[in-house]
Amino acid sequence: MDRKTKVKRELANWDDTVRRRKVLLSNPVFIKGLALAPLSVAATTLENSLMLSIAVILILTPTRVITSLITRRMSVPLKTFFYPLTSAVVFGFAYYAMYKAFGTWPLNMGAYLPILVVDPLIVKNFEKTRKESFIYSIINGLRNTAGFVLACILLGTLREFLAYGSIGGLSIISVKLLPMARYSFGGFLIIGVMCALWNMYVNIYHNKLEREAAGYELNG
Amino acid sequence: MNKTSVKIREQSHYDDMLLALLPIILCACIMYSARVLLVCVVAFLTARIADVAMAVIRKQEIDTSDKSSMVAALVFCMMLPVSVPLYIVVVTVAVTVVLGKHAFGGKDVYPFSLAALAMCFAAVNWPNQALAAVTPMTKVSFWSGAAESALSGASQIKAGGLPYVSTINLLLGYHPGAMGSAFILVILAVAIFLLVGKRITWHIPVSFLATCAVIAVVFPRIYGVSRFDSLKLELLSSALIFYSVFMLNEPATTPHNPKAKIVFGILSGVLTMLFRYFGSYEIGGCFALLLVNATEGFWDRLFSAGGIFENSRSFKAWIAQLGLNKKKAVPVTAGNVEIKKAKKSAARKSADKAAGSTDAGNQLLDIISAAEDNIDQVEFTTRTIDVKQALKELEEKQKKEGR
Amino acid sequence: MSSMVNAIMSFFSYSVLAIGAQNVIFTRGLGLSSGLRMINDPKKDTMYFCAFLTLFQMINSLLVYFLRPVIGFTPFARYTRFVTPVLIVVCCTVSYILVVFVLSIAVKKSTFKRMIYSITSASINSAIVGTIIFTTTLGLTLVETVGFAFGSSIGYMLAMLLIIEGERKIRHDLVPANFRGLPITLIYISVLALAVYALTGHRVAL
Repeated sequence: MDRKTKVKRELANWDDTVRRRKVLLSNPVFIKGLALAPLSVAATTLENSLMLSIAVILILTPTRVITSLITRRMSVPLKTFFYPLTSAVVFGFAYYAMYKAFGTWPLNMGAYLPILVVDPLIVKNFEKTRKESFIYSIINGLRNTAGFVLACILLGTLREFLAYGSIGGLSIISVKLLPMARYSFGGFLIIGVMCALWNMYVNIYHNKLEREAAGYELNG
Repeated sequence: MNKTSVKIREQSHYDDMLLALLPIILCACIMYSARVLLVCVVAFLTARIADVAMAVIRKQEIDTSDKSSMVAALVFCMMLPVSVPLYIVVVTVAVTVVLGKHAFGGKDVYPFSLAALAMCFAAVNWPNQALAAVTPMTKVSFWSGAAESALSGASQIKAGGLPYVSTINLLLGYHPGAMGSAFILVILAVAIFLLVGKRITWHIPVSFLATCAVIAVVFPRIYGVSRFDSLKLELLSSALIFYSVFMLNEPATTPHNPKAKIVFGILSGVLTMLFRYFGSYEIGGCFALLLVNATEGFWDRLFSAGGIFENSRSFKAWIAQLGLNKKKAVPVTAGNVEIKKAKKSAARKSADKAAGSTDAGNQLLDIISAAEDNIDQVEFTTRTIDVKQALKELEEKQKKEGR
Repeated sequence: MSSMVNAIMSFFSYSVLAIGAQNVIFTRGLGLSSGLRMINDPKKDTMYFCAFLTLFQMINSLLVYFLRPVIGFTPFARYTRFVTPVLIVVCCTVSYILVVFVLSIAVKKSTFKRMIYSITSASINSAIVGTIIFTTTLGLTLVETVGFAFGSSIGYMLAMLLIIEGERKIRHDLVPANFRGLPITLIYISVLALAVYALTGHRVAL
């Protein structure tokens, strides 16, 4: 497909374009507002963000794949039961595996790893009536995971740098630029500003496509 | 009052607030050195530059009449110690103006008091620098702000101690503290100036201070002194009077209805004392004000036209629609009709004055009575009677009938 | 008599703690995604959502309080920490089924249809799961657990009411385009959380 057709198609089906690009245009954190609890309170350092990311990698896609197979013919009330139960069982194994691999590191996250079990990031789809195919569940799961991991790492790095002047425990500057970044309200503020910047990026991308399409129209 | 005159009134409010802050800044300069001016100028310029920068980014006209940011910046400065580093002032004012004002829409539509937000931001990020206190009439380095620090009265009370400051020194502000929030006599004089000029109203300051006073007397936290002394120390050794004049009367973030203002003031007082007693910071008033600002619209809706507390009739209508009014529909008997007629004739006399015409007044009262009967009999209704609207409908009806 | 007074004092003190200083949204950020989605979903009713959240919070806290020690008698005793989320989800499901069954009999069909949208998301969310995990981790007594659970749900309701009130003030086109919606709501919540922080004054333990 040449660039011109691609641009036209993307613009014509802008909603679909946004929905498919879950890493950037439809980021689950900065655009959809999912997983705000662990990110605002727990993702205060790069280390914590890595733990959260690993947990989501181990839970999200397997949960979506298993539930897409089990809940195919279920009504919404039954899905309410199976989605979180599946994610809880998957989480149990994932949590144990992380404990064996990293020791007490994941346990330092307190309740903010277990609550991923019922977070809308993982169990969002139980309210949707549209059925999800096996392949689609894998692709969507991986896309959502990638979007979350990107947001989580960015946030953790930024918050650690602002609050402590370090990244990954390594001191970069001696001044604490914004000490409140380590608290929950600092997390809300930084996520809010990041959401606004993300919206700006999406609008810039959309305007760029429109200018490109207009250019193609002019040139014939 | 049309929108233009409201806007002019609000802009005059900020102009007069700037004027009112001048004597306080002057006293602060005398007490703490010329560094007060440096801090104020830096804050003022930062606020203005932030406003202009946001106008340029948003591709809007630069509004030279909008002084809300500058007023907030100066009020914020008056709550800081003279030793505060300039970078704290710059960062705090910039973040507050950009995120606290322009992110919410800009002039007149921001939901939180900018000065309170700035103070909370600074206190949380840099508590040692923002909440320090400097002894008056001591040497302060002009550029770095290095000075002999001391414990403010509010901090001593917070720590369970007793500040040994005479009443006259409390009134004059001659004790360790912030730059400008302790000059009680000057603040009171300025408050009178603002009240006479109708830039602020008495409702919020009086209700706020009265609530704080009642709580300080009934639940004193300073031991070893009488309740009166406890009240005196609570009110005078902290910035409560400064809050009541400069922060609780911001037009954009406080209710407009007088009754709503009184409730707002009481709630502010309760939360302020709660935060001062149980919170971690002695500037509890600023944090409390942020929470109370979030409820401002709710009080205005309750007490303004159409709200359930607009008047006793609307309140009765609300109770009726809740089903709490157990009064059943009374069957019409001769006795009931007589009582109703007597009530109507009494109401008619006052309605005659309002309507200016006996015939129109009677018809209006008939409309009102019919509506009132309906409200008593129907279990769930949200109708409230708007007398002005009913009169207007009556006039239109008369015009159509060619009277 | 004194033990009853102590129990009542304990209940109230933990309730007040959970409403204020340990507010489930402003301090711990729990249930925020669900809450924001609930506000923006026209099918869901805030008061039903909060009422059911309170009901489920109380029921599930009690269920987990009594059932968690049972894990110690099963082959999963060594893995209690890893199995607890499964237990919480099972308890949430059981309480959901019970409540839906009772309501489907007790209320009118039209009312039930309106309620079901709110019940589904109120029955299981991070506010409930997070609060239960905190109470189990802290090792609270029964009265303290019930008090904390009750206070959490009341605190959630009060926080939601403040956020909804705020939405009235920030849903206009004077807000810059890039800030409209989620960004400005989060900034608004951050200011409220900053105010509530003054009650705790320290970073909360995870």
